[in-house]
Amino acid sequence: MIDHILSILIFFPALAGILGFMIQKESIRAFGVSVSIVEFALSLWLWFAFDGNVSGMQFMEQLPLVPAYGINYILGVDGISLFIIILASFFTMIGIASLTDTPNVKNMIITLLFLQMTMIGVFAALDAIVFYVFWELSLVPMVYIIGAWGGPLRVYASIKFFLYTFAGSLVMLVGMLFMAFFYYQATGVWSFALLDWYRLILPETFQLWLFAAFFIGFAIKVPMFPFHTWLPYAHGQAPTIGSVILAAILLKMGTYAFIRFSLPLFPDASAFFMVPIAIIAIIMIIYTAMVAYAQEDIKQVVAYSSISHMGVIILGTFALNVEGISGSIFLMIAHGVVSGALFLLVGVIYDRRHTKMMSEFGGLANVMPRYATIFGIMLMASVGMPLTINFVGEFLSLLGFYQQSHMLTLLAGTAIIVGAIYMLSAYKKMFFGNEIKEENKNLPDVNKRELIALIPLSVITIWLGVYPKPVLEPIDNSVKAIVQLMHNKSQTDLAKERIPNLVESKEIVIAAKSSIKEVH
Amino acid sequence: MLSPINIPVESLNLMTLAPMLIPIIGALLILVVDLFKGGLHKSLYVVLSLLFLGMDFIALVDSSEIFTQSGVTMGVFDLMLIDGLAILSQFIIVLASMLFIPLALTHKRFHEFSYPEFFALFLFMIGGFQFMVSSDNLILIFVGLETSSLALYTMIAMHNRDKSFEAAVKYFTMGALAAGFYSFGAMVFYALTGSVEINKIALVLANNNYADIGYVLVAVVFMLASFGFKLSLVPFHTWAPDVYEGSSAAMAGYMSIVPKIAAFVVTMRLFEFLVHSDIVWLEVILYIFVVVTMTISNLWALVQTDVKRMLAYSSISHAGFVMAAILIGTTQANTALFLYWVLFSFVNLGSFSMLWISRQKHLREHQMSDHSFDKFAGMIKTAPISALIMALFMLSLAGIPPFALFWGKLYMISSAVTSGYTILALIMALNSAIAGYYYLKLIVYMFMKEPVIDNDGGQLYVANATKPLNTIIGIAVLGTIFAFLAVNPLLEFISAFVYNSGY
Repeated sequence: MIDHILSILIFFPALAGILGFMIQKESIRAFGVSVSIVEFALSLWLWFAFDGNVSGMQFMEQLPLVPAYGINYILGVDGISLFIIILASFFTMIGIASLTDTPNVKNMIITLLFLQMTMIGVFAALDAIVFYVFWELSLVPMVYIIGAWGGPLRVYASIKFFLYTFAGSLVMLVGMLFMAFFYYQATGVWSFALLDWYRLILPETFQLWLFAAFFIGFAIKVPMFPFHTWLPYAHGQAPTIGSVILAAILLKMGTYAFIRFSLPLFPDASAFFMVPIAIIAIIMIIYTAMVAYAQEDIKQVVAYSSISHMGVIILGTFALNVEGISGSIFLMIAHGVVSGALFLLVGVIYDRRHTKMMSEFGGLANVMPRYATIFGIMLMASVGMPLTINFVGEFLSLLGFYQQSHMLTLLAGTAIIVGAIYMLSAYKKMFFGNEIKEENKNLPDVNKRELIALIPLSVITIWLGVYPKPVLEPIDNSVKAIVQLMHNKSQTDLAKERIPNLVESKEIVIAAKSSIKEVH
Repeated sequence: MLSPINIPVESLNLMTLAPMLIPIIGALLILVVDLFKGGLHKSLYVVLSLLFLGMDFIALVDSSEIFTQSGVTMGVFDLMLIDGLAILSQFIIVLASMLFIPLALTHKRFHEFSYPEFFALFLFMIGGFQFMVSSDNLILIFVGLETSSLALYTMIAMHNRDKSFEAAVKYFTMGALAAGFYSFGAMVFYALTGSVEINKIALVLANNNYADIGYVLVAVVFMLASFGFKLSLVPFHTWAPDVYEGSSAAMAGYMSIVPKIAAFVVTMRLFEFLVHSDIVWLEVILYIFVVVTMTISNLWALVQTDVKRMLAYSSISHAGFVMAAILIGTTQANTALFLYWVLFSFVNLGSFSMLWISRQKHLREHQMSDHSFDKFAGMIKTAPISALIMALFMLSLAGIPPFALFWGKLYMISSAVTSGYTILALIMALNSAIAGYYYLKLIVYMFMKEPVIDNDGGQLYVANATKPLNTIIGIAVLGTIFAFLAVNPLLEFISAFVYNSGY
């Protein structure tokens, strides 16, 4: 069974979703919770069975799908995808458990289970087409969640979300087809397998174009400036659960894909585009942080701060060294936990007051002390306080990029200051002050169901902040392999200079060099 | 003194005629049955048609075995040509027809299906299509084309609504014009080369190195105009949405599939040598056709308020998308064309059938047309399974993986990529993104809007459904969801046939 754990992880929720149609409305919530607990347990099993010292892919599965055209159903997991898969199953569980009374709760839970299938599929796929299938398929449940349960502008928001990401990924698809074609030209065999593509060395000009094609697909998903405009709408209109999943997992698809595709496939182009992308990332960090400061809606503050932190992840990714990339992956998980928790917290207050305007609140710390405490912890984590989970990731990301450019890192570092400003001022507006509005005086504090979701998140936030090793080490091992692969494949001086050579993993050098074929 | 003509019967290869003759015999039989005993129930005719189509299918399997053993076969004074293209397209034609004909068994009575002549005409039409695709003689192609078209015009007119007469007349007039263009183009080719056989035309033109390039282009333009009508390429598409609207939904779905694959095969035969002749103008003309058809019809589809018209424009866009295969002209592209069309026929027939089961005899107050978007509002609450199925078809048409049409799109764009048409590949991708909007629009109506007024518990959406209809839709659903299992065998099957017949 452990050999097929990835397939089980992907299709178990989908199967459960289909069965869910037959279940009575009253018991669907219990069904959803138990399915997602089983799924989470399976993903933990994956972690325990995972060998953290191996840098390559584990639990690989392969089935021919369209062998005539080089498309195979290939799955595998390494240190990079492992924790994102766990994060995905964890947040689906948290999401379903904390689901408040929504209309059509049955449809919502079934949709979430299908969404879970697509999310785990994206992170486990090692074939570009299979990856693309899950990547595109994830749009459908998300559009439905936003469009059917969202706010007043929900249809607009869901269509905007769909069209932006759909258009971007079609360009990416053309890039993938080119990649397969170049592989065909070099070897005479069609293949969409990622590990095959890793062995292909492309001339720099090809790399630049292909990088751009993939970049559009990924950047819209992340979303990077200036493609970010769909995100505030999506977050603003989505129901709490939608925002949580979107921020915690779906956005990670973009940043994950950068590490899985862009860096190892196009090392020279990555080095070439490093500075422009870093500048975009810094614009993301600072600009959206400033926008966040101007927001009056607490959910929008969290949404924009989310974009801002995604900027740090991009910066870490394009540091092109082990510290930066490991840091960015760790920050993906951290960001998932923290922003997911923040959206849940916003949902808590929205359930009680049906408004997200900060001006409606004030002095909540007196009324809802437990809520204020948890919010405070998450806020500190979001700001990047040492001993919280975000700090580790942000520190490593910035440390990684510091080796490339002191100046840009310094600029990016200001984000922490700006972040502290908007977060603290938002906190002040909502929780401090003596004037408590009449409507807020009798607000109930967080209840049991909400605590079930929030306490584990708080524990993780502090636990991994204090002791990140169990997560960081497997990530580090796999990242080393990728960086070494990039270094071995790089041809230009610029790339050789920017991508460090880690001599300790000699195996990959041989593997890469023995199969080098130039594309003409 | 005339010497007696002595032709050995074996040299005629009469078996090449078998697949076409079966539906024609079937049609005659239906007419005879009606002659002796009128007023029989339509189910008899449906079953008879299915029976003859089944025999047709078996005859096709036979000829495909002959093809795999002895290659391209000619017969009947070299008029008939049995090659991979002919066999493949006949398979698609016959299978799509077998899926179409049970749609006649609806709950509500609609005029056309109560005439036995409808079924006779239907089988004649199929015979016409089969002649059309299995010949490289321009005259026989013309005969097949006109047989099928005339039958089709009449079948549309049988729908017996004001709009249907208008549609039939419009289609007929346009079709007559297209026939004129066709014969003029054929005439110019004959004048240039002294032959009406496509392979001889190609040979002669290649031998004199396309000396009369001006005339060749004239002939090509006339031919393109003629097939532009048949394939509804912009700007010759104007009939399509009106005719689709005027005919029944099932018929419209059928028209968007079968006549087009026949026309595609003829276009492929005709343009195969032309696109490889390095005539720059020809490539430019085709390129413009493809891009304009894809894009403009997509933009029109965006603003439609009726689902059927939206689907009509989207079919035009799909035709433009597939036309790209003719422009690219490689084996991979030609394979992609067939793969795309097989997958497309499942999905499109399915989605038009979904409109067909939701058809009512009289318009409701809040509806502006038979299938306005409003009608589908809030369908997830009133008829959840129908809504899910319709959404599935829409997602597939939009090219969302892993549903059927995605694989066709993938292979088609890939064939553009491999033959260096990068810009075209990008245009195709972006057009898919535009198309995503209007397919999503229907999904938005079904899943995110409230039902408009007076709901009858979803009855409206399934009023017309019967077991045969549901079966057809079920087949389409299975084909759409599990397409990924079928892609590999299809791809191998198609590419073997296409490659072995030299395209």
